[in-house]
Amino acid sequence: MTDDTALRELSDDDLVKRPFDELVVALQQTVHKLEAGNVGLEESITLYKDGLRLHAACDKRLREAELTITELGRRGVTGAEPEE
Amino acid sequence: MKPEQPSLWGEPHHRDEAEPVPPARTVPRILRVTDLNRRVRSLLDADAILADIWVEGEISQPSYPPSGHCFFTLKDANSQVRAALFREELARAPVRPVHGMNVIIHGRVRAYEPQGVYQLYVDSLTPAGAGDRHARYEALRAELAATGIFEEARKRPIPRWPRRIGVVTSPVGAVWRDITNVLRRRYPLAELILSPTIVQGATAAPAIVRALQRLYAQPALDAIILARGGGSLEDLWCFNDERVVRAVADAPVPIIVGVGHESDITLADFAADLRAPTPSAAAELATPDAAQLATIIGRLRERATNALAGWATDRRGFVDAEERALTRLAPDIGAARQRAADLIDRGGRAVGDQLERRRALLTATGEALRTLSPAATLERGYAVARTTDGRIVLDASSVAVGAALRVTVARGTVETRVERTNDEGTEELLA
Repeated sequence: MTDDTALRELSDDDLVKRPFDELVVALQQTVHKLEAGNVGLEESITLYKDGLRLHAACDKRLREAELTITELGRRGVTGAEPEE
Repeated sequence: MKPEQPSLWGEPHHRDEAEPVPPARTVPRILRVTDLNRRVRSLLDADAILADIWVEGEISQPSYPPSGHCFFTLKDANSQVRAALFREELARAPVRPVHGMNVIIHGRVRAYEPQGVYQLYVDSLTPAGAGDRHARYEALRAELAATGIFEEARKRPIPRWPRRIGVVTSPVGAVWRDITNVLRRRYPLAELILSPTIVQGATAAPAIVRALQRLYAQPALDAIILARGGGSLEDLWCFNDERVVRAVADAPVPIIVGVGHESDITLADFAADLRAPTPSAAAELATPDAAQLATIIGRLRERATNALAGWATDRRGFVDAEERALTRLAPDIGAARQRAADLIDRGGRAVGDQLERRRALLTATGEALRTLSPAATLERGYAVARTTDGRIVLDASSVAVGAALRVTVARGTVETRVERTNDEGTEELLA
């Protein structure tokens, strides 16, 4: 899993390209750290900003997702089965 | 009828319409058609074998008239016979007769007089080979179960958020459309990899195995769906093929099998990590619902906000608590200082008193000591006599005549010699 510093360094465009489950897990971890409450004011605010960015990225992914479909052998590479 | 000609019949006493006796060779007995058919019918009815008979054949051209009965032709390569399946028996039959179906029928043979045909009256009908096939199914199931591939312990959980899902099914028809529809609505974040195959017919089993293996060679798959729509027992039979079942069990990632309808359970279902009742259900079981995901991430955001607000509230609460504690402590410090001052005063006084008493005692002791000192004794007129080696002379007999003595008096020393000794004179001194 990419840690939050690595995610912090990503631009919004790159962040939204990360796998959805990774974004959700990062969001969960950020919230848990905030909720634990054993961080200073500066770190709390940074974590909160991380959370907002991750939430925005998840939300964008959900709204814009389109099912992608690849069909094996369609281009004759592996030889498709005859259809029914 | 000509009852006046009984002699022409071989058995005049038994003659009746139901049992006409063949006419004598010489004089033809002309029968009505009805008589003929009745005669044939009675012959057939009298035959014990024809009254309780099993026949195997292929159904041809079944018809379903409004009466609710079913009529068809049963045939094999060389012959055919009409058959009737009445409404009540049709309702009890395990399959509905269709053209080309091979069946085993139980019933009786009777003549149908109005048409002059004999036909098979069916009281039960089962697909041919069903018994054999069921036995083969059970044998294979037992054999495969013994290898452990159906064990619950082998079953892997389906990943919660699969990124890449492989699908093995026919690319034409409702099943593939249903699966993609479900996933578009439910989890469009997924990437689907379709490995197309035929799913019925004699070549279906090896084709399904090849389609599975093509998927198994794909990188980074999270789950696989093997699906087929509903169909007859024969249509679904390839999912009981040992090669297919073993290929399902070999899946490198969790595999969901959704074949036919709820009630169709194939051996491939047993080998799967998860059995879905239908293809659409397989797609649902493979994925989370994006609508719920939106709710989940929304809640996470709320929690982040609450946590940050909570952070500030906690810190403010901490400061308030410290302040209250300090306020509570302040009067105590004053009191303590007062107590300390009191103690110092009292201590000082106590020490002073003590010193005074000690000083008085010391003076008294000094007086006493002075009284007891040798100097004071000498002052009172006593003298101390010592020998030359410094011993104080206490006993007159301890010194010899002529020995030198040094006598210390109150002021100065007298050097002298012993002229005479006696052990008397002490009383004189005290007198």
